[in-house]
This record gives sequence, C-alpha cells and structure tokens, in this order.
Amino acid sequence: MKRGLIKMVESKWAVVLVLLSTFVTSGGQIFLKQGSSNLNWDIVGQIANIPLIIGCLLYAIGAVMLIVSLKYGDLSVLYPIYSLNFVWVSILSPYFFASDSMNWVKWLGIAVIMLGVSCVGVGSVRAMKRRVE
Amino acid sequence: MKTQFWAVALILFATVIGAFGSIYLKRGAEELEFNLKKLFKNMKLFYGLLLYGLSSVFFIVGLKGGELSILYPLVALSYVWISLLSVKILKEKMGFWKWLGVVLIVLGVGFIGIGGTL
Repeated sequence: MKRGLIKMVESKWAVVLVLLSTFVTSGGQIFLKQGSSNLNWDIVGQIANIPLIIGCLLYAIGAVMLIVSLKYGDLSVLYPIYSLNFVWVSILSPYFFASDSMNWVKWLGIAVIMLGVSCVGVGSVRAMKRRVE
Repeated sequence: MKTQFWAVALILFATVIGAFGSIYLKRGAEELEFNLKKLFKNMKLFYGLLLYGLSSVFFIVGLKGGELSILYPLVALSYVWISLLSVKILKEKMGFWKWLGVVLIVLGVGFIGIGGTL
C-alpha cells in the first residue's frame, strides 16, 4: 500500500517532467530547422551556426529530461505524452517558417492527439488506483 | 511525389528499432544514478540512445522519400509497438483507455501528416 502510494507520487512528477521535456524538445526542433537552412559541409564553421547549436543543446536537454522521467514512470504512459511534441511543433512552426501554414486538418490532428494523451492519462490513473487499493 | 517503397520499408524498420530503443532507455533509466562512472557503464542506456538515434536518422532519410500523409501515420506506429513491448517486456498494464489513447494519437499524427501536404 505505502509502496504503491510512493510510486503514484513519483509517477506524477515523471508526467510533469516529460511534459516539460516536450516544450524543450519542440523548441529545439524549431531552432534545428532554423539552423538547418545554413547547413553545409564546412563542419567546423557550424560552430558559428548559433540556431543549430541552441537546437542541439535544447534537444539534448529534452532527451535527458525524458530519460530521467522514465526512471520514475511507466514507458506506456510517458511515451504517448511525448507525442505532444507533434502538437507544439505544428502550432509553433507557422509563426517561424513562411513555408508552413495552419489548416483545419492540422488542427484536427492536434485535437485528436490531445484527446488521445488525455485518454492515456485517464487509463494510467485508473491502473494506479487499482494498484494502490 | 509518389511514395517510394524503400521509404515505407525504412520508416517501418525505424519504428521497430526505435521502439526497442525506448525499451532499452527505460531499462537503462531504471539503473540511473548520479554517478558518472556508473553512467558510462550503463550499457542499456547506451544501446537505447544508439537505437533511438539510428531510428531518428532513418526517419529523416525516409521522410524525404514520399508523401508525408502516408509516411507520418507510419511513424506513429511506434506508439503501437512501444505499447505492445511495454506489456510484453516491461510487464506494464495497458487497458481500454490507454489503447484508445494510442489509437487516437496514431490518428492525430496521421491528420497532421495529411495537413502538412495541403
């Protein structure tokens, strides 16, 4: 009973951490895309490609956050939450890239993903309550 | 552009190794401690990062070989593989709500892929 309770608190923090990691990772993806337009074979010169460097850094920080969260929660809960990356990137990218635009099919996808993540959340809370009882 | 067969195959392959990668990441994360020596000896974490990294490279290459509206839903299949492997290998429980969630996420990613080609 007590162990189950501790696990429940830990996995709540794991969910918060993986949520934060989706913000960091999607920010990283925007920077990577920005940096990729100046990409060339001058590999040493890429040190001056500030968006690329920031993108890689954010991406790495996001990955570390995901891995740490996995220590404290179930993969089958945390990985689906990670799909929110698709949501944030599709919402953000039209603001940064002229070639990207928003349309209703994308909005539909965003809504359906969010609904899906909520369902996973509901399922995991139910499973945990059963474990504690 | 017509979607190439190699792109479909490459993306499917990438979803499978990516799923195994995340299982290794989870196993590696369980042994995670704030100790650099142990961190470098954490082979599961290493394999996880390797497989995960490889699958990302395959995704990037594969997505250039066809329509996003077809390839994006395939990318989302990794959610299905990871759920199956979580049950089989990690002994996690899925249940109705979690499966419903996974199906919706796959659909949603598919819609974003279709939206990207409009």
